[in-house]
Amino acid sequence: MSHKKAQKEKKEGRQPAVVTDEELAAAMERERGELEKTWARPTGWRGWFTDTDHKAIAMRYIKTAFVFFLLGGVEAALMRIQLMRPNNHFLNPDQYNQIFTVHGTTMMFLFAVPIMTAMGIYLVPLMVGARDVAFPRLNLYGYFVYLVGGLLLYSGFVLNTGPDAGWFAYVPLSGPGYSPGKRVDIWAQMITFTEISSLVGAIVIIGTAFKMRAPGMTLNRIPLFVWAQVVTAFMIIFAMPAVMLASSFLASDRLIDTHFFNPAEGGDAILYQHLFWFFGHPEVYIIFIPALGFISPIIITFARRKIFGYVPLVLSLISTAFIGFGLWVHHMFATPIPQMGQSLFTAASMMISIPSGVQIFCWIATLWGSKLNIKTPLLFVLGFFAIFVLGGLTGVMLASVPLDLQIHDTFFVVAHLHYVLIGGSVFPLFAAFYYWFPKWTGRMLSEWAGRWNFWLMFIGFNLVFFPMHQLGLNGMPRRVYTYLPETGWGTLNLVASIGAFILASGVLVFLVNVFWARRAGAVAGDNPWQADSLEWSIPSPPPNYNFHNIPVVQGRYPIWQATADAPVVRGLSTTKRETVVTSVMDAQPELRFEIPGPSIWPSLVALATAVTFIAGIFTPWAFLVGAILAGITLTGWFFCDPNYENKTARETGEHSHSVPRAPELRPKEV
Amino acid sequence: MSARSVIDVSELQHHQFDTYDPVWWGNNFLLAIETSMFAILIATYYYLRQNFHEWPPPVAQLTATLQPLPVITYGTAITILLVVSCSPMIVTDLSARWGYRRLSQVGLVICVICGLAAIVLRSFEFSAVYFRWDSNAYGSIVWFMLGMHMLHLLVLTTESVLLMIWIFTREYDMKHRVDIVTLAVYWYWVTGIWVLLYAIIYFTPRMK
Repeated sequence: MSHKKAQKEKKEGRQPAVVTDEELAAAMERERGELEKTWARPTGWRGWFTDTDHKAIAMRYIKTAFVFFLLGGVEAALMRIQLMRPNNHFLNPDQYNQIFTVHGTTMMFLFAVPIMTAMGIYLVPLMVGARDVAFPRLNLYGYFVYLVGGLLLYSGFVLNTGPDAGWFAYVPLSGPGYSPGKRVDIWAQMITFTEISSLVGAIVIIGTAFKMRAPGMTLNRIPLFVWAQVVTAFMIIFAMPAVMLASSFLASDRLIDTHFFNPAEGGDAILYQHLFWFFGHPEVYIIFIPALGFISPIIITFARRKIFGYVPLVLSLISTAFIGFGLWVHHMFATPIPQMGQSLFTAASMMISIPSGVQIFCWIATLWGSKLNIKTPLLFVLGFFAIFVLGGLTGVMLASVPLDLQIHDTFFVVAHLHYVLIGGSVFPLFAAFYYWFPKWTGRMLSEWAGRWNFWLMFIGFNLVFFPMHQLGLNGMPRRVYTYLPETGWGTLNLVASIGAFILASGVLVFLVNVFWARRAGAVAGDNPWQADSLEWSIPSPPPNYNFHNIPVVQGRYPIWQATADAPVVRGLSTTKRETVVTSVMDAQPELRFEIPGPSIWPSLVALATAVTFIAGIFTPWAFLVGAILAGITLTGWFFCDPNYENKTARETGEHSHSVPRAPELRPKEV
Repeated sequence: MSARSVIDVSELQHHQFDTYDPVWWGNNFLLAIETSMFAILIATYYYLRQNFHEWPPPVAQLTATLQPLPVITYGTAITILLVVSCSPMIVTDLSARWGYRRLSQVGLVICVICGLAAIVLRSFEFSAVYFRWDSNAYGSIVWFMLGMHMLHLLVLTTESVLLMIWIFTREYDMKHRVDIVTLAVYWYWVTGIWVLLYAIIYFTPRMK
């Protein structure tokens, strides 16, 4: 390398393209210092509102969602205390209505969806070898909108204005005629906030997975976790608009007297159910598919071998997503649906068990005959198999119309949905916590406590929800605040309530484990599980810039397959926030993309959004004011000092008719 | 430490058009969200129509009943305006790709004027529906469809104004040229969606 060129590159803050043996170590150290400075994160209260680091935002998402999980759990415990014996008066009917509504709403909208998105926001950039997500500022905005939604719901709840029409808020019960007051409006606007944040999260994740992959990570080398996140994000894009419309129609029926759901003026109550479940059924898969994404890497790691059937697994994810849009009417078998429609949706509901089955068999085939390393994450995955298969079986039962009509709105359905949702996503989520906690914090969770955690949760869970199948068959309807002793439901309810406390103690063990491990857990090192994917190739916790040198991926299992002199990407700036943008299919390098840095504007736009929709509960004029506020803040976002931009290297006004060819992905030997 | 092979990316550009740029993808995903929103709105429109013998519902006058068809004038004017405005947008789009600053400026100014005109026409269009949003379900859904499209007209025009201000007062850099090309996609999309909505809102009631 000529001296002149080296000096020029140094001036522009680029990494020198060629190094000799002796210079390497020193140069690396210098670069590390520069990267630390370039990617430094704002701290303190400023950091709260301006920090765009994907790991920081994801951690906040995870903590917030977990707090909502605990709150939802407390509500569940209150319900179980109430139902423990017949004729109980621990809660009155109105409190019970609010509590079951807020419980369902919290678990679906404030816990399950956001925490799955958050796992993607943390891990997708690390797994694909990027230095941040594609749209970090948008990401920050998404978090704050979500937080506002959660705070809105709980502010209403503590002020005795919690929604009380069930987590799906069917009209006419939730309409202006039967639910006066502001309870349902709070629910409807909470939906708006959480859906905006999910949609934003989906765009961030797809953008990152499509364009920010390390060179060499072609489509058929993308980790299965990332595939799952991408498929989920696409489902969010097509499903969430339905619930946004359902809740907007509901809110406008209540606020400005539209008649979408008012039969007297040509509106239609069943329309609400269609709109809600067109979102609501894919929603189940939006929660479940990321969980499938946790399972594959955990199985790969603890079976210590390559996955069996990578392509079938990916195709199963995609077909589950497609079929997932054809199931919504099976929630509505008790409404006047044409028989042809019923048959179609029954068929689709049964068909979706095929891709789920394919996945389970692929995982079993991977585990079969391998030398299992049974650690807590794998234990939770095995627990998932047991519980989810049971939930899947009752799902096939419910897909049959005559049976569904008998047990519609009974505890059988409550049992089924908890088996699929807790089995299908909470167990894999805990597996994921145990698996990635060392990466997040640099410390290991206790294995001993992990086993206690698992068995308490597993036994507790089955004790709560298995008896509910029988209760449902015995005719106990869901959403009743109490029952008479003559019904004979007392014993099974008591068993379920005892189970609830065992389950809760399992969660408590987890919390203690986390707080203990933060201080005293064993130091993890970069790759404590000897896993295969890129996030384990960097320190734990990861540095702000994630990868010092962006790796070049050579196979589906980058760490296991990396050769001793695995090539890396050079030539990115160390003084600007640069990462490599690659092509969608083949991951050929295309751009040196500058990632936006910290900014206050996303938080301000979130504030404008919050003002608009919260005031919109009370007056339609809020939307006019909101539009102006949003206009002002978005203008600020657009014109704000692009502090990340390199002013000297800015390409100004040159006439470029042809697109320059990206360099071939053939590493040069130097 | 031994020397290792590298892929040198130091010659790559920071921004490039279309599929190269993450922003282009992000914009398209936003449009995918909005497309599914409009698709569900259209489904809702036809779903509600099943509840009516006549669509729009007749209005009883003193002696006779009236079939209150939506007045087509404003809708047609907006359709023509938006379709025609695609040509200055195509010019803006191409000039941004070629790097002709002056042409981009002129094109964007014409587009902004078209956008503002469409917004003005739209505010008259609401009254052409004959029903208010709170008259019946027909009025509700038609107002909602017009309103959601109005929202996009507002956002589109605002975005065009911001970009226009930028390229008049600041640098005509690659980043904002990519933004213009991305804005053009949004413009074509708003036009295309409107042609569909126009056909549905005005011709469904006229088909017997």
